[in-house]
Amino acid sequence: MNPRRFRILLVAGALIAVLAALWLFAGPAARHSKLMVVITPSLDNPFFGQEAIGAEERARALGYSTLKFSHGDDAYKQSELVDTAIARNAAAIILDNAGADASLAAVLRARAAGVPVFLIDREISSRGAAAVQIVSNNYQGATLGAQAFAEALGERGPYLELVGRESDTNAIIRSRGYHDVLAQYPDLKMVSRQSANWDQAQAFTVTQSVLQAHPEIRGVIAGNDTMALGAVAALESAGRADVVVVGFDGSNDARDAIIAGKMRATVLQPAKRQAQFAVDLADRFLRTGSTGQREKLLMDCFLIDRGNAAQLKDFALAPTPASPRTS
Amino acid sequence: MATQSASIPSTAPSLGLAALLIRLRALVALFIVLVFFSTLAPNFLSIGSLLIMAKHIAIIAMLGIGMTYVILTGGIDLSVGSIAGLSGMVAGALILHGLTIVPLGLVIYPSVPMVVLIAVLLGGLIGLANGTLVTRLGVAPFIATLGMLYVARGAALLLSDGATFPNLVGSPDYGNQGFPWLGAGRMLGVPVPVLIVLMLALAAAFVAARTPFGRYVYAVGGNARAALLSGVRVGGVTRAVYVISGMCAGLVGLLVASDLVSAHPASGQTFELSAIAAVVLGGASLAGGRGTIGGTMVGACVIGTLGDGMVMMGVSEFWQMVIKGTVIVAAVVFDQLQARFGGRES
Repeated sequence: MNPRRFRILLVAGALIAVLAALWLFAGPAARHSKLMVVITPSLDNPFFGQEAIGAEERARALGYSTLKFSHGDDAYKQSELVDTAIARNAAAIILDNAGADASLAAVLRARAAGVPVFLIDREISSRGAAAVQIVSNNYQGATLGAQAFAEALGERGPYLELVGRESDTNAIIRSRGYHDVLAQYPDLKMVSRQSANWDQAQAFTVTQSVLQAHPEIRGVIAGNDTMALGAVAALESAGRADVVVVGFDGSNDARDAIIAGKMRATVLQPAKRQAQFAVDLADRFLRTGSTGQREKLLMDCFLIDRGNAAQLKDFALAPTPASPRTS
Repeated sequence: MATQSASIPSTAPSLGLAALLIRLRALVALFIVLVFFSTLAPNFLSIGSLLIMAKHIAIIAMLGIGMTYVILTGGIDLSVGSIAGLSGMVAGALILHGLTIVPLGLVIYPSVPMVVLIAVLLGGLIGLANGTLVTRLGVAPFIATLGMLYVARGAALLLSDGATFPNLVGSPDYGNQGFPWLGAGRMLGVPVPVLIVLMLALAAAFVAARTPFGRYVYAVGGNARAALLSGVRVGGVTRAVYVISGMCAGLVGLLVASDLVSAHPASGQTFELSAIAAVVLGGASLAGGRGTIGGTMVGACVIGTLGDGMVMMGVSEFWQMVIKGTVIVAAVVFDQLQARFGGRES
């Protein structure tokens, strides 16, 4: 054996020896850790960010440590993160999932490893895999938004609908809620229905094009606030302050637009409360072996308009000490 | 994990310890990453988490093997992530809806091995298209494969109109069960993808180091004109490396879809970047002619353990990106240092 090869072997051998020693000493940690892993679609989007923060705060208050990650709507990344949570001996996973069909395998894998999964915001397409699925009542929320929209338009006029990503159940349910209400008004006419994939920039260009083709529109109803704000920007640049815009989610940006009179209303999904509720149920499950609830839980949404916009902050309505009983 | 595959071609007669450590930098980096996380991240070195990491590394490594061949010729393949996405979707469509033969009005449900074969061949075919664009039509590899990145991703979305193919467990009526085993199964406790990638790596390392084809690949990347003049069929060799890369990507798409038991058209986005990073970390030169499969395997281990370790430690997502980027650039800086002081191989 020549000396060079010998030296390489020596170095490699030393590295392996150190690793082996580490492995012996840093061996497996105790099971039943008090760790909750929170996985949401993104951390830079305020809605999902507040979900993560809400879950984290409540879990810390209950004495858990937390890790929070985002999967960027990538089912494979989500699967990796779930694997990692299992490897870390997480006690529970709070998950806003990356797709109704594509998430099932990861949820089942966690359950098989003894890590219960608590779903928030979006449901998955099968029952019995997750410990619980807490979802906003998107349909009920959409009917609230549509009602406000119809009233603001005086129950008549042509309008544009901006739909979310069509593979997303929430986009479909919200649109159905809108139409079930709006169809009751024969003088409200949808002149265009476009997908803007939940995206502000796409909503901006789509609205601009629709304004070219249908300058007569008097309202825009959007599947989320991000798209509503894209529409607001397009209407502003066209000098159309007369058009009524309604969104969905209850973001701080939408609140500001409502206060400034650029948007008429939005629908608050209680993102933070959902996440906190999921943590509470996870805690109960870990202590007693049961959540004491059905698997699928719907949480009601609230209409936000000029009357209550000021109380909205970070996807939660602050309690109003001044006048709780305004009609 | 992959320490055994760091083969070093014997060149320069004597090296100091410092030069040796620079030469073995990928291995040293892997060592540092492992020691760092095993002291800071709980459970990092448990068997369970090592196996999980090995599975994640297998995906990067498999793309890295194909990518190594392409980069050895001085090319680049940006389309592998999209090919993986398309291959997964094709497998999903075949399992759920079968193959419709229009003129006969027949629907055939291929068995799982056939599905695997079709998806891998499809990857190879797309690779051939890449290679043909590069060699026959003179399109720069960066552009040809960038175009293919969009085309393949669009095709994947078109297959299902953007939807997911769910629940790919097959059905006893069609005799196409067993797909989930490929990505989620285990043999002797080891995840199947890990076994597949180990076999592939051994074969690829052997081909690169010991066969005429391997020598041609290095020759094309080292100096294409010299290779041409000495009788190497440069065009053929170049097309072959893109086919290999495409087939590896096809296989990765299958493994990902199988692991998720569903095929999503957005799967595999940015996989190409991890693969390129693994190859570069493993000591290959983007200019071609220099690099080894063993190095790429170690590079994939570094990228994979770094990513999983940071997640287990709870490092903020935004810092993870900064750190990964820094590690990749640092690897190339070391590469330059070695070129300047350590004496360059080949």
